[in-house]
Amino acid sequence: MQTRWDIGEPVKPTINEDTEQLKSELLTLNMGPQHPATHGVLRIEIWTDSEIVAHAIPHLGYLHRCMEKHAEHIDYRGVIPFVDRLDYLASMSMEWGYALAVEKMLGTEVPRRAELLRILTGELQRIGSHLMAFGTYALDLGAFSPFLYAFDYRERILRLFEEVSGARLLYNYMWIGGIWNDWTDEQLDRVKQFCDDMEEEAKKYHDLVSVNKIFVERTANVGIMSLQDCLDFGATGPILRGAGYKWDLRKNKPYSLYSEFDFDVPVGTGERGVPGDCWNRYIVRMKEVIESIKIIRQVIDKLEPGPIMGKVPKIIKLPKGEVYVRTEAPRGEIGFHLFSEQDGKTPYRLKVKSPCFTHTSMLPRVAPGQMIADFVATVGSIDIVLGEVDR
Amino acid sequence: MHNVDLNQLASLINKNVSGANATVNAAPDAKLDSSVSVEASHIYKVAEWLRSNTELPFNALQAISGVDYLDYMDVCYVLAHFDVDHPRELILKVRVTDRVEPKVDSIMKVYPAADWQEREVYDMFGIKFNNHKDLRRILCPDDWQGWPLRKDYVAQKFYNGMEVYPDNKMNFEDRDFIVRQAMIKKAQETKAQ
Repeated sequence: MQTRWDIGEPVKPTINEDTEQLKSELLTLNMGPQHPATHGVLRIEIWTDSEIVAHAIPHLGYLHRCMEKHAEHIDYRGVIPFVDRLDYLASMSMEWGYALAVEKMLGTEVPRRAELLRILTGELQRIGSHLMAFGTYALDLGAFSPFLYAFDYRERILRLFEEVSGARLLYNYMWIGGIWNDWTDEQLDRVKQFCDDMEEEAKKYHDLVSVNKIFVERTANVGIMSLQDCLDFGATGPILRGAGYKWDLRKNKPYSLYSEFDFDVPVGTGERGVPGDCWNRYIVRMKEVIESIKIIRQVIDKLEPGPIMGKVPKIIKLPKGEVYVRTEAPRGEIGFHLFSEQDGKTPYRLKVKSPCFTHTSMLPRVAPGQMIADFVATVGSIDIVLGEVDR
Repeated sequence: MHNVDLNQLASLINKNVSGANATVNAAPDAKLDSSVSVEASHIYKVAEWLRSNTELPFNALQAISGVDYLDYMDVCYVLAHFDVDHPRELILKVRVTDRVEPKVDSIMKVYPAADWQEREVYDMFGIKFNNHKDLRRILCPDDWQGWPLRKDYVAQKFYNGMEVYPDNKMNFEDRDFIVRQAMIKKAQETKAQ
């Protein structure tokens, strides 16, 4: 197994050497921190050889809010609003991961209805997050209308979340031991209706964007992250699956009640381009939307009335020890490494393993040799949320 | 949680990496996770063996985190094996006792994922990684002082001429509350008179 580790080594400007005599020096260019294509405040210092990127150095920290330090001073319940703000486009998944970590240490049993509703919200959140990824990615590549289509449908999810949690983005909905509010039958009917509509809508997206000639030209065979690279860097989620590796925690190491559900794990097969390129990462997300719809339908069939909150002590005190809990968030595996002291009311240390942090660290590997415009497509395709990278 | 017999793994590490001195930190009950500790000086060789062996390989590094216990600091490596048939996880620990110049070998050559993760640990705990190619701060500004996630950390007073915690920047709600309380008290006093 050959592991390439020599990142950080600038590529010598030999790209234009044989094609033209006008050999120029490298030009340093700052992409960001307010570049719209970076989806937040990420600054990438790129050394360009005319139109070609020779080297890329991401600079993080513009959104660093010391979340891990804050968590050490807040009680276990109080941390939930802070984890919300990690990946603010998929807050439900963040809360879920954290709640699982505390519940595991506490030994709490979560009631069945709460577990099912968690899966329901988690999967709706995944659809919402992927719709956002779809819309903004198309926007990055110059197509404006898919963004509007995607936001129209994402809005329906946000409306539902607003009704059950009172907030549109940062929910504080999954509490330790269960969930805050129950869903009414009327709301579940609307979810069903949404699933039916979304399935039709996804076909439209497919015709409009996925097989669009311009889109395919811009994304297929661009920004290839090979399977070896993905494993070297510990990439997860759509990046790893886009490279053709069938790995999904919901299937391979089921948490919650995922083992009861029947769904597929879509991987990049290279219908266009090759596995591991931007197009395959994109199509994995679009196929995951369909799989999430499948799961949601099964959840609604399984739902039965019951309690939504388990037995949790009023003041949560955890035993001395540690847990590492990983869950499958829309952007990859989010891991919470939680340390506690004997009868500590606050986490002793909370480490968040964020998928986007890992994926951003792969940018210096894929950037050299790309056109600047292709690099924008690559950054968009890993679907970064800087809240999670900088924490 | 690990899907690995840690005792077997520890003995395998001891057999293949001499001097690693792998011991299992067994958790008191099933709710918590156990881990394996190795000697800090042997972490590179242990990581190399863990990735390349055929019996119990770990093909991905998930995270590196530091924990400060004041007497010593732990560096925790979370490793995983992405394999459909044999998914595995491992928490590997290394203890650093020197707080002034803490040093651990970098495992960046084995797992490239360690590049940024080690930079983060350096940024937050000040642990230096030998042979790391580009050990800079990653989340804090380059000229920030101190190691924020250490338990004895005190934020610097000034950063580039700006006051970090200005006294007048109190929580407005609290201040309003205090002001209102004072007003109520004053009103009551005047009424009593």
